[in-house]
Amino acid sequence: MDGVIALTGWSPGAGVLFLAANGTAYPPAGGRRRQPVERPYPGPGRPDMTDTAAADLAELLHLVAGADRAAFRRLYEAQVARLYGVALRITRQPALAADAVHDALLQVWNHAARFDVARGNAQTWLLTLVRYRALDIVRRRAREAPEQAIPEPIDESPDPLQRLAGSRDAMALHRCLEQLQEDRRRLVTLAFVEGLSHSEAADRVGLPLGTVKSAIRRSLRSLRTCLESGP
Amino acid sequence: MSDLPPDLSPGTEPDDADLLAGEYALGTLDVATMASVRRRAATDPALAAAIAVWERRLAPLADAVPPVAPPPGLWRRLEQSIAVPPAPANNPAQPSPWRSVRVWQGTTATALALAATFAAVAFLPGPRAPMQFAALCTPGAAAAAPGYMAKAMPDGTLVVAAVAAGPVPAGREMELWMLPPGANRPASLGMLPAAGRRITVASMPANGTQLLISLEPLGGSPSGAPTGPVVYAGMLVAA
Repeated sequence: MDGVIALTGWSPGAGVLFLAANGTAYPPAGGRRRQPVERPYPGPGRPDMTDTAAADLAELLHLVAGADRAAFRRLYEAQVARLYGVALRITRQPALAADAVHDALLQVWNHAARFDVARGNAQTWLLTLVRYRALDIVRRRAREAPEQAIPEPIDESPDPLQRLAGSRDAMALHRCLEQLQEDRRRLVTLAFVEGLSHSEAADRVGLPLGTVKSAIRRSLRSLRTCLESGP
Repeated sequence: MSDLPPDLSPGTEPDDADLLAGEYALGTLDVATMASVRRRAATDPALAAAIAVWERRLAPLADAVPPVAPPPGLWRRLEQSIAVPPAPANNPAQPSPWRSVRVWQGTTATALALAATFAAVAFLPGPRAPMQFAALCTPGAAAAAPGYMAKAMPDGTLVVAAVAAGPVPAGREMELWMLPPGANRPASLGMLPAAGRRITVASMPANGTQLLISLEPLGGSPSGAPTGPVVYAGMLVAA
């Protein structure tokens, strides 16, 4: 299987970061079918996070790439609650969420050097690693009854999107989500946050699978148009 | 690429490919389609770039999720996982189809004997005593020493510990699989750090369940089934 390339991470603005079997990073430059709106990334989405925090995280990743365990610990302390919260919503089981965060952060430890700090948003990279790992874990198992209480379902009313206020990317997404019909906005948010497949989302909202699939596609198309057009 | 879903077949409209990238980043695709997209993206820079753009677009949605404190043992577990330095690059992987039961059949008798010994000497009976053991050996290897030992505990945890494991080739990671008796497709139990790990399983595995450790690309098998050689295998037997 030499030569197999695994999708393992994310390289911002340049595409998904691939790690080839020979260990080289592979940002697929120039192959972009649609040019995203390029702009300096103003910082991670959480309102209380600042550019300084993003720079700190990038610096931590740089240190982690040099096998600095203390830096890895600091990165863990700074990020784990956010990442674990995301994983828990998807896996619904603390043990599985812990597995997802463990596996993702182990990847960070092993491959931090491949993350392009200059172009990257480290928060999004970490988030993406954890989300895909959590999705892989739950999709490969039948969903089971939660072992213990999990946090309350996302507060869908009055407006969970209010939490999105913060970075420019977040504000742009917020603005574009608000242009969707309410049921479609809810569907997209629910699918992302809870990690629902098309069929799980259909069960959740009580609509036929085909209807949900096409609603999601239409929503994505609308979001793309809105995000590319700018404010 | 004949296993690709219609969405990925040649001649697909760019718009459809971009929306598929969006669905991938959103996370709504089923396992098989997710794996197909991942494989396709590995050789299609345009698709990979489209996925990255969607990941960035959708990432702020995660801010709607409140942070949750992780279980207290998580850092310690992670610390143990990073304690083992990456193995040097050597031992190029040989293709070894996991479906061929014969490759590890020969080690079963040894594994049974070792597991019985391990059970007898290492654990006393009691409520915390393991229910099942497995010695995971290198398929086809003459040496009897297992690379990993596994024990299934009554509380639904499976502990896999390194005994005499060899190095993992650079650019690869080990993934642990469970193949219950009668099943024809192993289920992933996640990545396996060289030192081993503790895993929560849904229920006590059936007696005779095979545990397999395969070498996979970084991040795990892209297909949901073992793609690399099975480097260790063993059968869980009652203690």
